[in-house]
Amino acid sequence: MVRFTFSVPLSGSSRTTNGITDTTVMVTHAAQTDLLKSLLDAASLRHRVLAQNIANVNTPGYHRLEVRFEDELARSLKTGNVRALPQIAEADSHGFERVDGNTVDIDEEMGRLSKNALLFNAYSQLLASKIGQMRSAIVGR
Amino acid sequence: MAFDDVLAATNISGTGMAAERLRMEVVANNIANAFSTRSPNGGPFRRQDVVFAAVLNNKLGGLGRPGSGLGGVEVTDVVEDQSEFIRVHEPGHPDADADGMVSYPNVHLEVEMTNLITASRAYEANVNAAKTQQRMMEQSLALIRA
Repeated sequence: MVRFTFSVPLSGSSRTTNGITDTTVMVTHAAQTDLLKSLLDAASLRHRVLAQNIANVNTPGYHRLEVRFEDELARSLKTGNVRALPQIAEADSHGFERVDGNTVDIDEEMGRLSKNALLFNAYSQLLASKIGQMRSAIVGR
Repeated sequence: MAFDDVLAATNISGTGMAAERLRMEVVANNIANAFSTRSPNGGPFRRQDVVFAAVLNNKLGGLGRPGSGLGGVEVTDVVEDQSEFIRVHEPGHPDADADGMVSYPNVHLEVEMTNLITASRAYEANVNAAKTQQRMMEQSLALIRA
């Protein structure tokens, strides 16, 4: 089993017993579920932002938005905290702009949409298998 | 995450579909009236155009806060194109002027067809976004079933 070394705040349960940090399998599970939950939340938010961009593909002067999360998550994982918050920001268009001042490229946007949906799929299946593992640990069969 | 947030993406795609549909309706109206030499305002029909505006509801916290302010798109106005009418020499026409010239609407079919295709493609893109959202939500619901 892969064990992550970062810790997450667990509400209502004490993780330290006699000053020794408890790294039991359940805690590891909780950390993974928490991480997967924040990744799912970020993917869900990114979908909303992409939907906004697609809805505005014909709006003159519209600048596409993006969600920044993974980089911050990677940074915060190093410091042992998975409470990174996704941020919505105007995306750098790298000089691409249509004549009407719109920076949405519909093909790129649809590609991002599929990629995001695949990631969401992966995260939710991982989460489902985690929940399944916990359930079989509780039920005992 | 509130349930409203979950459905927000569908609403965003919904505003996109509604806007593109209206755009298609306006284009259809322009094409239908491409040869209407009379209109309620007097004179020939003027082609119409939609004005799209992005909805970013800053009352909900503005950008930066997760999920806030994304309201899709809205059609703020349908405006009349003030460009010149097409003048055709047709002395027998009841709406011909003293020189025998008839003013036809400023509707150019190639422009309208281009707009129609753009709107229809954008509509499809919005439908795809809504479908993807639906699949994602089904996966989330599968977590409860698992």
